[in-house]
Amino acid sequence: MAGISSGPATYIYACTRMRVRRSMLIPREDYLRMLNMSLPEITRFIGETNYRPEIDELGTSFSGINLVEEALNWNLAKEYQSILDLVPGELKYFTASYLRRWDIQNVVTILRGKLQGVQPGKLKEVLIPAGRLDKVALDRLLTEESPERVVEALKGERFYPVLEKELPRAMETGSFAHLENELYKGYYARLIADATEGIKGGNIFLKYIELEIDTRNIQNLFRLQAGHVREDVRELMIPGGSFSVEELQRLSALEDRDEFIDALKRQVRTTPLLNTLEAIRGKSALHEVEVALTRVQLDQMVRMSKRYPFSILPIVVYLEEKKYEVANLRALARGKEAGLPGERLQGYLVM
Amino acid sequence: MVDVGTTLEIAQASQLGMKALGAGLAVGLTGIGAGVAEMGIGSAAVGATAENRDMFGLALLLTVIPETIVIFGLVVALLLLF
Repeated sequence: MAGISSGPATYIYACTRMRVRRSMLIPREDYLRMLNMSLPEITRFIGETNYRPEIDELGTSFSGINLVEEALNWNLAKEYQSILDLVPGELKYFTASYLRRWDIQNVVTILRGKLQGVQPGKLKEVLIPAGRLDKVALDRLLTEESPERVVEALKGERFYPVLEKELPRAMETGSFAHLENELYKGYYARLIADATEGIKGGNIFLKYIELEIDTRNIQNLFRLQAGHVREDVRELMIPGGSFSVEELQRLSALEDRDEFIDALKRQVRTTPLLNTLEAIRGKSALHEVEVALTRVQLDQMVRMSKRYPFSILPIVVYLEEKKYEVANLRALARGKEAGLPGERLQGYLVM
Repeated sequence: MVDVGTTLEIAQASQLGMKALGAGLAVGLTGIGAGVAEMGIGSAAVGATAENRDMFGLALLLTVIPETIVIFGLVVALLLLF
């Protein structure tokens, strides 16, 4: 892939399109308005935005929460695939590399569904064909009868060796958690390899990958801290970020939460993250901590994308923000369906 | 012995040639400058218009703004020649 090359014009074209699309994402004020709406009102509201074609198309087959869920999934997959079509050269290579996370999510969903005997039709509703495995490939996997056959059908994919190695243990224990961790660790290792193989712009992509890994690791540390997990966490951490796995292990050994935050602050250099960690001190709910860390990661990415305006970063910023928009709308719709009050739901939204 | 008349003729012809060369450079280099400037603006304009058709008018206006550089070059060229 080192031979790929494209001039600055294509970068400017693709990055401008991403900026325009980003400006069309649902703003904070609209989320606050939706918090006071019922589910049908939310459906109507999103039916007047970029989700209109999906809501109109699926309106005859689905209703209520299922309509919202399906429309969001379809829209996300369509949007990601269209971006993959329009970005040129090196940007396409990095974008495709980033989107492979959806393959992992889809494959793990299919494996879990197959183990529990879920109907293929039901499984298909929750898949998001946004990665390398398109609708046809996922349909083929859905027709397989057992998790072993699904893994066999994935021979030749990048993550096949991990699947082949970890599946027997997962089948034995009945849990795909370890398999999923290994797949994501492999995904991040592969992202780093793609960014460092000498393609133009790889060093900027690497900055994003490090930020992403750091945020995931810090979020995981807070989760472990909240769950009072004191065992060896080295296996649960993603290598490749600015913290070494040994450092993360040392941090996880700290029992007192304030002491843990102080130790973490000593390792962090960026001011926004330092401020967020200080603000987290007063937050007890884990979801609030996760949302705050995600928000600071997105803000950091936006700042980086302004420093490198014609790089992979504006594209990744849009892809990430779109992902959180869909997650927010899903949380809102699910929350309203469950009758949760707006104030409670607000804490789960990344705005 | 040097023929004064011939030398004067050569000098005048050379002066005219230099003027023409200067005029050509003024238009040519400003043209290249405008092209480089329009490359970035044009790419962004096409990108923005592809996402939002309403941007077309503004995008077109912004794209042709660097053309003024060529007009300056043309004015300089005309001043040189006439």
